[in-house]
Amino acid sequence: MKNNIRVERAILEMTQEQLAEKAGVSRQTIHAIEKGKYVPSAILALKIARIFKKPVEQIFSLEEHDS
Amino acid sequence: MKTIRLLPHRYKTIGWIILIPSVIIGAIALTGVAASSNMSINGHTFAFISGGILEDNAYFSVIRTDLLATILGVLVTTGSLLVAFSREKQEDEYIASLRLSSFQWAVLVSYTILLLCFLTIFGLPFLTAMAFNMFTVILLFIIRFNYLLYKSKHSDYEK
Repeated sequence: MKNNIRVERAILEMTQEQLAEKAGVSRQTIHAIEKGKYVPSAILALKIARIFKKPVEQIFSLEEHDS
Repeated sequence: MKTIRLLPHRYKTIGWIILIPSVIIGAIALTGVAASSNMSINGHTFAFISGGILEDNAYFSVIRTDLLATILGVLVTTGSLLVAFSREKQEDEYIASLRLSSFQWAVLVSYTILLLCFLTIFGLPFLTAMAFNMFTVILLFIIRFNYLLYKSKHSDYEK
């Protein structure tokens, strides 16, 4: 799965810390998601999409190997 | 994901305070280095089962015995449980996933060590190894989990 979180953060000039706080998780979680080390739960993905005011598929998308 | 409810964060500190000295003293006492073979705490206690090399087993009786192992064992076990089952300051789904993978890793490594012990240690030293091995799962978990937390906190992070 890939995500555009870093791009969306840059558009809103938001730090990882700020995004983490809005989403109710730790900064490590946002960092791990951006690095592709952790796949967020559906609830967290929806929360992040809501923060960016975009549909969730615009932030997160499936890759070939996710099958 | 439904998991066991964790203790409040402050119990982790209490756990460390109990665990660290007990583990050090316990390791010294178990390996019998220096004068530690003379360490003992004699006292009376109630035993479900007790016995010795030259005596028959006794059941549900008060006995007089060396309680050093008992006390250290209780302290190390309690300390490790408190450290392992206390919340981090901020618990979220990612930290929960680190916990789960740490437990899996600890069980795997611990039983691999057990396997090696069976294949390489024999006789009375084997019992000493088993005494250490009682604690390797939870101690390895604590080490692994805190290492993963440290690594994720201090990895290159972007503003």
